[in-house]
Amino acid sequence: MNGPSLTEPRFVRWGLIAVTLVYLGIFLVIPLAAVFVKALEKGVGVYWAAVSDPAALSAIRLTLTTAAIAVPLNMLFGLAASWAIAKFEFRGKQILMTLIDVPFSVSPVISGMIFVLLFGAQGLLGPWLVAHNLKIIFAVPGIVLATVFVTFPFVARELIPLMEAQGSEEEEAAVTLGANGWQTFWRVTLPNVKWGLLYGVILCNARAMGEFGAVSVVSGHIRGMTNTLPLHVEILYNEYQFSAAFAVASLLCLLALVTLAAKSLVERKVRVGKEAA
Amino acid sequence: MTRSISPALKAQRVLPGFRLTMGFTLLYLSLIVLIPLSMIVLKTSTLSWAQFWSAVASPRAMASYRLSLGASLVGAMMNVLFGSVVAWALVRYDFPAKRFMDGLVDLPFALPTAVAGIAMTTLYAPNGWVGRYFHALGIPVAYTWLGIVVVLTFIGLPFVVRTVEPVIQDLDAAVEEAASSLGANRWQAIRRVILPELLPALLTGFALSFARGLGEYGSVIFIAGNMPMRTEITPLLIMIKLEQFDYAGATAIALVFLVVSFGLLLGVNVLQRRLRK
Amino acid sequence: MSIELRAITKIFGDFTALHDVSVTVPTGELVALLGPSGSGKTTLLRIIAGLETPERGEVLFDGKEATHRTASDRRVGFVFQHYALFRHMSVFDNVAFGLRVKPRRERLPEPAIADKVHELLRLVQMERLSARYSSQLSGGQRQRVALARALAVQPKILLLDEPFGALDAQVRQELRRWLRRLHDEIGITSVFVTHDQDEALEVADQVVVMHEGRVEQIGTPEEVYEHPATPFVYHFLGNVNLFHGRVEGDKVNLGEFSMQLPTGAALDTPQAVGYARPHLLEIELQPTGAPQFKATVRHINAAGPMVKVELVTGSGSVMHAEIAQERYRQLQLRKGVPVFVSVKEMKVFNAPQNMLGGGI
Repeated sequence: MNGPSLTEPRFVRWGLIAVTLVYLGIFLVIPLAAVFVKALEKGVGVYWAAVSDPAALSAIRLTLTTAAIAVPLNMLFGLAASWAIAKFEFRGKQILMTLIDVPFSVSPVISGMIFVLLFGAQGLLGPWLVAHNLKIIFAVPGIVLATVFVTFPFVARELIPLMEAQGSEEEEAAVTLGANGWQTFWRVTLPNVKWGLLYGVILCNARAMGEFGAVSVVSGHIRGMTNTLPLHVEILYNEYQFSAAFAVASLLCLLALVTLAAKSLVERKVRVGKEAA
Repeated sequence: MTRSISPALKAQRVLPGFRLTMGFTLLYLSLIVLIPLSMIVLKTSTLSWAQFWSAVASPRAMASYRLSLGASLVGAMMNVLFGSVVAWALVRYDFPAKRFMDGLVDLPFALPTAVAGIAMTTLYAPNGWVGRYFHALGIPVAYTWLGIVVVLTFIGLPFVVRTVEPVIQDLDAAVEEAASSLGANRWQAIRRVILPELLPALLTGFALSFARGLGEYGSVIFIAGNMPMRTEITPLLIMIKLEQFDYAGATAIALVFLVVSFGLLLGVNVLQRRLRK
Repeated sequence: MSIELRAITKIFGDFTALHDVSVTVPTGELVALLGPSGSGKTTLLRIIAGLETPERGEVLFDGKEATHRTASDRRVGFVFQHYALFRHMSVFDNVAFGLRVKPRRERLPEPAIADKVHELLRLVQMERLSARYSSQLSGGQRQRVALARALAVQPKILLLDEPFGALDAQVRQELRRWLRRLHDEIGITSVFVTHDQDEALEVADQVVVMHEGRVEQIGTPEEVYEHPATPFVYHFLGNVNLFHGRVEGDKVNLGEFSMQLPTGAALDTPQAVGYARPHLLEIELQPTGAPQFKATVRHINAAGPMVKVELVTGSGSVMHAEIAQERYRQLQLRKGVPVFVSVKEMKVFNAPQNMLGGGI
C-alpha cells in the first residue's frame, strides 16, 4: 500500500478495523442472522407451513404483481426522461431533474396519503369512483399506484448521469448514416446503457417489493386480498405469531441478499461503462 | 440575397424524439407525482389558519416533531462518526471478510423496512440477544427513544458510507505525501488535509441520513412502542389521523413535514455548492 | 455533388460563430476549411451535414435547396473528430450499420451487405481486424473504420472534422497522403476541417481560410500561400517577416530602405506593414545598389534542405531568412557576420490597429 509515512500506526489501523467490524456486525450482520434464526427456531415444518399458508401465498402473488407493473412502467419513464434530458438542450432542465427526485425525499406515509386524498372515499375523486363502482384505495390499484410513486426516480436517476457522460456523438453519427429515431435509440443508445438500466431496475424492484409505509396507508390490510408480503409480516407479528412472521420475513431477506449480489455484479460493469465514455 | 429561416426550421433538433419523450416524461410526472402531491396543498388550503395551527402545533404533534427530529439527528451523527471510520477502513485497509462487509453495507437499502423493524425489535427487546445486556445495565432499548435511534442508525448507515467512500478513493496521494514531507505527523495530516476534503461528502451523507430518518415509518413502529407524547414519531401520527379520517389534520402536519425536509435538502445543496468552491 | 453555402450566419446564445459566410465546393473537389480554434470551421461543417441549423442563409446541394432537409435525409458521410464509433459493435457491425438501417425497400440482403462491408474494409486496409472492437484499435485504425463506415452508404459528400487531430505526427503524415490518394481514387466531393496549415496545403485542392467566423480567403494552396489576401492569412500560413513603414508616393519607406509598392496594392493609410516570406530574403556580403538593410547573423540552422538564418537588424528586430545550401556555402556565413539583405518580393498592407512584432 502506501509508504510508512502515509499510513496510520498499526494499532490505530487495527483499532479502526475493529470498530468497523463491530459497528457493521451489530447493525447489519446480527439483525440479518436474527431473522433466519428466528424463522427456523421452531423447526422446518413450522417454517414451511408459514410460507405456504394461503394468505402468505396471496401476499406473494400481490407483491410480485405490483412489482411486475410498477417496475416496467418506471423503466419506460426512466428511458424517456433520460433521453429527453441527456440528449437535448432546453430550459428548466435542472427543475425537471429536481422534480423527478421528489418522491425520493417524501416520507412513505405521506406518499400513500396523497393517493388517499385523491382517490379515497372522502377524497377529491372519491364520489366519482363510488358512483362508477371503482375501487382504488383499499384495493390493488391503489397499492400499485403508491408503489409506482415511491419507486418513480430509481431508473431515471441511474440513466441520466450515464447518458450525459456518454454524450450524443454516437447518436449523431447514426443519424448521418440514415438511421431514424427508433433505430438510433434501439441500436446505438440502448446497448450502451444496458448495465445502468439493469442496475436501476434492480434497485427499483427491491424497493417495489419491500415498500411498507406507503402501501400500508392505501391497503386496508384486507388479508388475502390487499396484503403485500411486508404487510403480511406486520400482521403476523402483531398477532404474536413470531415464527411465522420471521419465516415470511426471511423470504424478503433472501430477496434483499439476491438484490445485493446482483447489484455488486452490475455495479462494476456500470463503472467501466462510465469510464469508457 | 439572404432569407430568414422559418421558425419551423429554427426549432429543428438534430436528434429525433424530443417531443415524444419530453411529452411522455411531463405527462407521467404530472400524473404520478405532481397531481397527487398537489392534493396536500389543496387539502390544507381548506383549513382556516386557526385549524391549521391547532393541528400542527398541538402538544401531541410537537412531541412527535421533537422525537422524530431528535432521534434522526442522533442517528445521523452516529452514522457520520462511525460511517466515516467504516468508509476509511473499507477503502484503505485489507481485512478478513472485507468484501462481504462492503456488499452488506447496502443491506438497509435493499431490505424492506418491516423486516428491519421486527428484527431490531426482537434483538433489542428485554430478552433479546442484544437487549438483555442493556436491560441488565438498566437501559431499556426496545419501546424507548433509544430503540428508535438504533433503528434510524441502521436505516441511514449506507448513506454516509457510500457518499464518503468515493471521495476517499479519489484522494490524491500526492497531497498526503506533501503534508508528510512538510513535517506533519499522521494525525495532523488527517485533521488538516484529509478531513476538510471529506467535509462536503460527510455533510451530504449526514443530510441524506437525517432526511431518510425523519420520514422513516416501517422499521420504527415496531420498536417504538408508539405511545403518544412519548414514543410516537410524526409519520405515525399522520397515519393515525388518517385512520381517524382527520384528513385535514394529517395533511397539515404532512405539509409542515414536507416543507422541513425540502428546506433541509435545499440547505444542504447550497452548503455543498459553497464548500465545493 | 456540389455544395453551395450562401450567407450563412450561426449564433449560439450571444456568440456569433459565423458571419455571413459564403463558400462553394465544386463537384469532386477536396476542400480544406483552415483556421484557428474558434474560427467557426467545425460549425460550418456541421451545418453542411445538417447537425446544426443556421439562423440565416442557405445550403444548396447541386443547386437544390437543402437547408430544410434533416441530417439523415442529406446522405452526407460524416467522420467525427473523435471517430464516434459505436463502442458496443465490432468493426464489421460499425461499417454495416448504415446499410442495415435503410428502409426495407432499399435494404440489401445480409450476404450482399457483408460483401460491401468487406470491400470497404479492404479499401481502408482494415479487413483482418473486422471482428475487433473500437477499444481494441489504435487511433489511426479507428479513423479508417470511421471513414469506411461513412463511405458505406455511398454518400454524395464526405465531411471530415479534424480527421487527424488526435493522432501523432508520423501517423498523421501517412494518413494525410492516404486520404489524398483515396480521394483521387473515389472522386467524391470532400470537405475537411483542420487547424494544421501543412495538412491543408498538402492535401486540398482548395483552401478556405477562416478567422473569427468569417472567410479570409479562398484559393488553391499556392494562391493562399504565395498571394495571401489579408495579414491574417499571411500570419497563419507559414513564417513571415514583418516590416513597418510609411507610404510615400509609389514607394514604401521602410527606414533603411525604400521599396517600390507592388502594383494594385490598395492602401488608404500612410502607415503600412510589409510581409515577406523567409525564402524571399536575399543575403549579400556587400551592398549591391539594390534597396537593402543591414543586419548581423545571430543563428544558423544548417540541418535540412534549406538553411535557416536568423538575423538581427540595427534596430534589434529579428528576421528569418531561408537560403539554399550552395548559397550558404558560397557566403561562408558565420555567427556575428554583418550582411546586407534585400527583399525580392514584399506584400504591403495597411497597418492594422493592433500590431505586434517588429520591423526595421
